[in-house]
Amino acid sequence: MLSIKNLTASINGTPVLKGIDLEIKAGEIHAIMGPNGSGKSTLGKVLVGHPSYEVTGGEVTFEGRDLFALEADERARAGLFMGFQHPIEVPGVSNAAFLRLAYNKKAEAEGRDELDPLEFDDFIREKIKLVSMKEEFLDRSLNEGFSGGEKKRNEILQMAVLEPKLAILDELDSGLDIDALRVLGDAVNQLMRPERALLVITHFPRILETIRPQYVHVLSGGRILKSAGPELAVELEERGYDWVLEEAAAGGRR
Amino acid sequence: MTPAVDASPLSDLLAGARPEGWEALRAAAEARLAGQALPDTGMEDWKYLDLALLHGPAFRPAAPAVPTTASADIQPYIHPEMMATRQVFVNGFHAPHASCATGLPPGVRFFPISAASEACRLLGTLGEGAPDFFEDLNTARFTEGAVLLVPQNVRVEVPLHLLFLSRSAGDGTVPTMLPRLLVALDRGAELELVEEHHGEGTYLSCPVVEIRVAEGAILRHERIQRESTEAFHFSALKAEVARGGQYHSRTLSFGGRLSRQRPRIRLAEGAEATLDGLALLGGNQVADTHSFLHHAEPHGTSRQLHKCVVDGQARAIFNGQVRVAPGAQVTDAQQQSRNLLLSEKARVDTKPQLEIYADDVKCSHGAAVGQLDPDELFYLQSRGLDPEDARNLLTYGFAADLLARIPVASLRRSLRHLVLARTQAASLGDLA
Repeated sequence: MLSIKNLTASINGTPVLKGIDLEIKAGEIHAIMGPNGSGKSTLGKVLVGHPSYEVTGGEVTFEGRDLFALEADERARAGLFMGFQHPIEVPGVSNAAFLRLAYNKKAEAEGRDELDPLEFDDFIREKIKLVSMKEEFLDRSLNEGFSGGEKKRNEILQMAVLEPKLAILDELDSGLDIDALRVLGDAVNQLMRPERALLVITHFPRILETIRPQYVHVLSGGRILKSAGPELAVELEERGYDWVLEEAAAGGRR
Repeated sequence: MTPAVDASPLSDLLAGARPEGWEALRAAAEARLAGQALPDTGMEDWKYLDLALLHGPAFRPAAPAVPTTASADIQPYIHPEMMATRQVFVNGFHAPHASCATGLPPGVRFFPISAASEACRLLGTLGEGAPDFFEDLNTARFTEGAVLLVPQNVRVEVPLHLLFLSRSAGDGTVPTMLPRLLVALDRGAELELVEEHHGEGTYLSCPVVEIRVAEGAILRHERIQRESTEAFHFSALKAEVARGGQYHSRTLSFGGRLSRQRPRIRLAEGAEATLDGLALLGGNQVADTHSFLHHAEPHGTSRQLHKCVVDGQARAIFNGQVRVAPGAQVTDAQQQSRNLLLSEKARVDTKPQLEIYADDVKCSHGAAVGQLDPDELFYLQSRGLDPEDARNLLTYGFAADLLARIPVASLRRSLRHLVLARTQAASLGDLA
C-alpha cells in the first residue's frame, strides 16, 4: 500500500529525515516510536503533504501512485489520513458542516452519492457513538475551545467519517486520560479492516496496548534505527530508548 | 477659512423651519453646522473616508412611504421569533400598520419620538465627545424615531426588532432619513435589541441611537447594516452604562457605498461592555468604524473584537479608541482588530488607540492584517478539500465567527447565508 524508499526531507533547509525506508501492506499496523525530536511527526506530515517540509530525495508510492505528484487534498481523497497531534482550530465553521463537506468531497471523488444535511445527520449520529462524543460538539466551531482530549476525539471522528485506506495517527495519546485513550484506541481498532492499514506514531508505548502493531520501528536522528515485532515496544517500555541509540552507534543498523 | 454651510451639498436639508421640540438642542447643533462644510480628508477623523461622492446629488428629506405598498415589502424582513415585538420604519418614518408590539411585556413603553415630549429629558444628553457632522444634522432636523423605555427589573424575554427600510426616490434626488432612537433601561432591566437597516437604491441614512443602561441593567444590541451598496449610512451611537450595568453590542456592516459607525460608550464603575464588529465589503464599498470606549470609573470591563473582510477595491477603516480615565483602576480592556484582505486592491486602515491614565489596569490590544493562516488551510486540505474550497471555507469562518452567538435563529441563519454568498463559499453547500 505504502512504499517509502530512501526518503529525505528538510525544514527551512535543515535536514530532518535522512533516508527512511518503510513498507506498509494492507491489513498491517505499524508503530513508529522514538525520542522527542527524532523526526517521527515529520515523517507523518511529509507523507500527507504539509507545506512546511521540503522533500529532498527518495520516493514514496501509495497504492502504486507517486505520492509526491499529488497535492495534500488529492492525497486525502486518495485515502490517506493523518490524525494530528495538535489539530487546528477553525472558528466560525461548525464541526458538523465541516465533516459533511469533507465526507461529500471524498464521496464525490469516489463516485459515491453525497449526503444531504438530513442524511448526514443520521450518519454522523452513529459515528459519534464510536468515539463517545457529545452531540453538542457537532454544533460547535471546528475544534474551537476543545480540550486536548476533545480534539483527539474529533480527529478519530474525522477518520471514522472519511474511512481512509491508510491512517497515520500522531501521538494520539497526548492529552488523553486512560479512559479516553481506551475509547479512541477501541474506535481505531473497529475502523481497521483487512484492506486498510495504520501507522501509529508515538513516544510512549502505552497506546500500543490497545492498538496492537505487528511491526515496531525506532526512529531517531531522521533514520529508522531498529525494526522488530511487537516485543520491541515492550522492551522500550522497560528500557527506554538509549540502548537502541547506543546499539545503533556501535554497530550500525541491526 | 470656514466655508458657510451653503458649501455643503446637504444644506438643502437644513432649509425651512426647525422642527418642533428640543429647541435648545437643535439650535446648538445647527450653530455647529453653520460653521462647517462637509468633512473632508484633510480632517484627521475623515482622513480615509472620502465624502466626495456626496458632492453632486441633491439631498432631500425623505417622504413617508405609502402604507399599502409597504406591508408586502416588509414581509421578507420579518423574523418569526420577533413577529410580535417588531417596530418598522419606512424611509425613516415609523410605520404603525407594519409594526406589532403585542409581545412586549406590560410596562415596556415604545412610542414614536413625535409622541415624546420635550419632557423626555434624556435625549441629547447621553454619551460623550463631540458630535460629528452627521449626528448634528440628525439632531438639528430629526422628526422621526422612537423612544423605548424598560422599567425597573423587567426582563424582556423576547428580542425587540427595530427594522429600518429605505428606498431611493426615483426622481434623481437622494432621500435622507434622520431617525432618532432613545433606549433607556431602568435598574435591573434586561433587553435584547435587534436593529436592522435594509434598503434599495441611493439614499442617505443618518441614524442616531442614544442608550442609557441604568445600574445593573443589561442591554444586548445586535446592529445589522444591510443598506444597499449605493446608499450612504452614517450612524452615531451614544451609550452610558451605569454602575454594574452591561451593554453588549455586535455591529455587522454589509451594505453601503460609504458608511460609518460611530459608537461611543461611557462605562461607570464595574460596568461591562462588548463592542464587536464585522465589516464584510466588496466592490467599491468603503466602511469606517470610529469607536470610543471610555472607562470613566474603576472596575470596568470591555471587550472589542473588530473584523474586516475586504474584497475587490473595497476599503475598511477601523479607529478604535479606548480611554481609561485617571482613577479608573482595575479596568480590564481588551481590543482586537483582525482583518482579511481578499484581493490585491482591497485595503484596510486600522488604528487601535489606547489612552491609559490609570496604573492598575489590564489592557491589551492587537491588530493584524493579512491573508489566511497556512496551517488552517493545510488542515482543511488534509481532509480532502481542494485549496479553493479550503480558502472559501476559512474566509466564511473568519466572518461567520461573529454570527454564532446571535440569539435569533432565523436572523443568524439568514446572515450566514449572506456571508456564504459574499465569501464565495456558497458552492460548498449549506453550511448555515
